[in-house]
Amino acid sequence: MEGFVATVPFTILFLPFFGMVLIALAGPYVPRLGAAIVGNLSVLGSFVLTAVLASYVWSLPPDQQVLTLKYPPAWATHPAYWAHIPPLTISFELRIDPLALMWMLIITGVGFLIHLYSIGYMQESKWYRTFFAYMNLFVFAMLMLVMAGNFLWLLVGWAGVGLASYLLIGFDADRMAAVLAARKALIMNVIGDVGIMVAIFLMYAHFGSLSYKVVFANVTSAGTSALDWIGIWLLVGAVAKSAQLPLHTWLPDAMEGPTPVSALIHAATMVTAGVYLIARAHPIYDHAPAAAMTVAVIGCASAFVAATIGMAQYDIKRVLAYSTMSQIGYMILAVGVGAYAAGTFHFVTHAFFKALLFMAAGIIIHNLGGEQDIRKMGGLAKRMPFAFLTFLIGTLAISGFFPFAGFFSKDAILDELQLLGHPWLWAFGSITALLTAYYMFRLVFMTFFTGAYRGDHEPHADRSPTMEVPVAILAVLATIGGWLVLPGHDEMSRLLQGAFGDRGILPTMGEINWFVTGVTTFSAAAGLVIAWWLYERAPQLRRRLATMFAPVQRVLANAYYIDTIYHWLFEVPTLTAASDIAKYVDPEGVGGVIAGVARTTTGLGDAMRGWETGYLRRYGLGMVVGMVLVLAYYIFVVHGGAAVGMR
Amino acid sequence: MPGVPLADYLAVASALFAVGVIGFLLRRNPITMLMAIELMWNAGNLAFAAFARTFVDFSGQIFVFIVVTVAAAEAAIALAIVVMVFRRRRDVDVDEISELRG
Amino acid sequence: MMALFWICTAILILTAIGVVASRHPVHSVIALIVNFSALAVMFLMLNAEFLAMIQIIIYAGAILVLFLFVITLLTIGTGPVESGPSRLAFQAVPSIVSGIVALALLASGVRTASAAAPPEAPADFGLVGSFGMQLLTTHLFAFEVTGFVLLIAVLGVVLMAARKELRF
Repeated sequence: MEGFVATVPFTILFLPFFGMVLIALAGPYVPRLGAAIVGNLSVLGSFVLTAVLASYVWSLPPDQQVLTLKYPPAWATHPAYWAHIPPLTISFELRIDPLALMWMLIITGVGFLIHLYSIGYMQESKWYRTFFAYMNLFVFAMLMLVMAGNFLWLLVGWAGVGLASYLLIGFDADRMAAVLAARKALIMNVIGDVGIMVAIFLMYAHFGSLSYKVVFANVTSAGTSALDWIGIWLLVGAVAKSAQLPLHTWLPDAMEGPTPVSALIHAATMVTAGVYLIARAHPIYDHAPAAAMTVAVIGCASAFVAATIGMAQYDIKRVLAYSTMSQIGYMILAVGVGAYAAGTFHFVTHAFFKALLFMAAGIIIHNLGGEQDIRKMGGLAKRMPFAFLTFLIGTLAISGFFPFAGFFSKDAILDELQLLGHPWLWAFGSITALLTAYYMFRLVFMTFFTGAYRGDHEPHADRSPTMEVPVAILAVLATIGGWLVLPGHDEMSRLLQGAFGDRGILPTMGEINWFVTGVTTFSAAAGLVIAWWLYERAPQLRRRLATMFAPVQRVLANAYYIDTIYHWLFEVPTLTAASDIAKYVDPEGVGGVIAGVARTTTGLGDAMRGWETGYLRRYGLGMVVGMVLVLAYYIFVVHGGAAVGMR
Repeated sequence: MPGVPLADYLAVASALFAVGVIGFLLRRNPITMLMAIELMWNAGNLAFAAFARTFVDFSGQIFVFIVVTVAAAEAAIALAIVVMVFRRRRDVDVDEISELRG
Repeated sequence: MMALFWICTAILILTAIGVVASRHPVHSVIALIVNFSALAVMFLMLNAEFLAMIQIIIYAGAILVLFLFVITLLTIGTGPVESGPSRLAFQAVPSIVSGIVALALLASGVRTASAAAPPEAPADFGLVGSFGMQLLTTHLFAFEVTGFVLLIAVLGVVLMAARKELRF
């Protein structure tokens, strides 16, 4: 078992990486399908190994479930560290514990399903092989992020995820919108990277180490205010990566990427990294109440704001994007108040139903020839029964209907909020649940019902098994995934005990709070009914309301004009300053300095070339005079003229 | 047998050196100039040897040995240059050789 | 002892001036040989027997013969070098002045040096055996570097003096 534990995590981590390298090297020499197969098999291999590793780790007693792997290993006689800046030594360190395993399972598992789906979906792409290489890079970077054993390697994975997302969002590089969206995502993510870097500096200053083990063991040695600052800076990173307020604007634009990319970003990788980070750094947040509260408030606000924006969007993928932001808000809220198990649980179920929703939406978009506007859909239930059924399951799950996955996890979070005494956060969470059900069913009704098909061209319905099988699997998971936590049987908390057991308190999610459950179910049902009423039963009423609340709708449709605000606040001043600098400072200032330097050098050269007579004896005289001066300096200045009797 | 004091040796070395300097600056025949340089080398050597004797330290004598070696190398190279110049121009007045001016 | 020293000093200064002032380079070389011989005597007085030997053998013997060869090879059939007017005539006065100033400064520095007789030296000080021992143990690196310098010099001379251009 020793050797198994020492090698398997590295294999899990690097399989996707080597898959990427293989695709990149073999690229043009193998058929397109070859690249797809390499990409799929490497991620599948990672998943299988992760499952084996998980079953092993979970067979250990909870207090032994944290495995730390270091490279170079302890027995190496000449340890070559990745960085050795005394007193700081950074080795390549992995940490496998239940929290990381939960993420690894989802990343590789759902990641594999998305890879499988991409085989068919990306069929028409020009850069088919490249796509799989990027996807593998994405999986690798995300695995690096969650498997890292210290904050530096976490940052490596963190930045790698940013890079992979940049490459994939801008995958259709010949469309300007995609390129701009990719750039935006990268810039936002780099803001987050800087936040984490500052947190790392602070941690180094306070703990002298970046290893999780050392930092978490000594967490109380730093004061509360220091921990608060570390927590806040980590939160900056989490907010950027998880698309929470106020750094969320890249997420809707990221819909420019191909649909499998959206699924991967939203379900398995990327946006949940913020949740992971805060759950990972839970010893810090447990001792930093102010930072933890900030986390919770930002999560709650993001959940609510995103849900309101989602109500007024017409692009099927944008609605889903805002729903992701909203659901991640739930998770951030949960981990902010200390309900780490509930947050992780919601991450798992969300991965199932969000991947399902995106991939079902992908089938629709694929069959409509790239159409994403739901105003040009409608009546698709009969034409695409498979997509309809699976999308409906995803919608029921995200809205929180019993017995679908989202019901259990959302209920668990809201339960914990009540239990830990945050009535206001709970109230907003419940309202958000209502809004979620409303905008998701609005999406369902506008896409699949509301009369006949409104699009321009006839939808074709080619069915490809590689696309439908993963969707079907996810539909099953989205249905039963929540059953990990049943009344009186809290499998989730048991699994995570090894990661969060050190907190002492472990609120069980298996208890039923009938009041909270009732409110949650009622909210979901109310959302469904309102959507049905407005879109199926009484469209006139909807139109009347729309004209009545036109300004509100405009604000929501434009996502509170946050993009516009950023445009005027950051973009315009920067661009103006840059162009002014280019126009005035550059030619006059910089150019002037350079021209001046050139003129001075030329002048000095002209002045000094007179010295160069070419006469050997002239040079000799110069040397002798110099020697005399040096002698005089030593005798009169250094030795004060003592030699010549001046003293 | 009383030894000669260090100061006297240094005075002689200084005089030799000054003669070498003046010769180097006044003469135009490169071979004579080289000989003036040899004079300066030897002035230095004399000072080194005198110091070595005064402080009973071999380092000074070793230094003289090395200076002699380097002087031999220098003389060989310099004379080769003189031969080359003469072969090209049939004339070795250093004042005539001033192509390297700026 | 002192008498010998002053005789040597007189020979040294006079021959040095002879080296610098002679019209014909061959005279200069002769004067220089005498100069070096006197210097060798001084080395002997300084307990530097080995240096005296190399002063005679290498300097007076080898290097000055090289000078003589070059002189005889170059000046066949040509007039004296310094026949024409000097282009740097104005430099004569500053040259002499700076030389004298250098001498004055050096001499003023010398005044602080010890005027006492040097201490007794060990019996083998400056003899070939002890000198070689020092050279090949304590100062081995300097010795090696010297060999390298000579090697480079040989290469340089061959490169420059070869009749045809060498091709590498």
